[in-house]
Amino acid sequence: MDNDSQLVARVQGGDERAFAELFRRHGDPVFRLALSILGQGFAAEAQDVVQEVFLKVHHALASFRGEAEVGSWIYRITFNQAVNLKARARYRRPHLAEAALAHAAAAEPGPHAQLETAQRDHALWECIQTLPEVYQSALRLYYWLGASVADIAALLDVPENTAKSYLHRARQLLGGMLKERGYSYV
Amino acid sequence: MDPSEAEVDSLLRRSMAAPVPRLPPDFNQVLWCQVRRRSERPNRSGQILLAGYGVMSAAASIVVMRGQGLGWGVIAAMTLGPLAMVEGARRFRTR
Repeated sequence: MDNDSQLVARVQGGDERAFAELFRRHGDPVFRLALSILGQGFAAEAQDVVQEVFLKVHHALASFRGEAEVGSWIYRITFNQAVNLKARARYRRPHLAEAALAHAAAAEPGPHAQLETAQRDHALWECIQTLPEVYQSALRLYYWLGASVADIAALLDVPENTAKSYLHRARQLLGGMLKERGYSYV
Repeated sequence: MDPSEAEVDSLLRRSMAAPVPRLPPDFNQVLWCQVRRRSERPNRSGQILLAGYGVMSAAASIVVMRGQGLGWGVIAAMTLGPLAMVEGARRFRTR
């Protein structure tokens, strides 16, 4: 099986199937990275990011000279594209899927507990929004999308220790912010 | 992981648990249609027409600017500057 560089060479030679193979390899990671930046409730926007990223990749592959790894290059385009989209759409509220709402409602027994959970989750959501983008992305990849530290490192193009320190620092910052707001999170 | 960090860890696991969206199964076909549409080059006669219009506009602008007493340096900057900006923007977008 061809590696990414060989696929790029084939795309540059006009082989359309090689581009389809590149998408098959990197489509899902790009979608997950976009989701991790945009957050829950923005799946449609994440799909738009994937489409835009691969259109850019297809256009730019003709002049790609292999100075960076193909995967890292694609993920960097994705990160920038998603951060730009997020900056433009910051005023919008996420449109949560019904399944997600049902999941949240079923998790707690009584209305009081549900309210407390909702308030705490909202406070947590607000605190997460104030973290640097890479911390937010690392948190969502790890806790929501189930990515490993190695996956996070690959998607954010950083060493694994750096990915670990993003998670560690993000948890510390969140703990401090929630305490300031008077939330007990045990 | 210290105890307070472990508590935040536990809270994050509970709060962020939600279904993970997936790309639709036909997404690659939609993408491929978009790729084909964008990579279609404008037809030859359209390109010639557009280039002719650009040359005529530039020539008319140069005549008018000369008529206003502007020097060749200023005229060259005002004519070629926008072209350089367009090319720069195009390269920036494809980076």
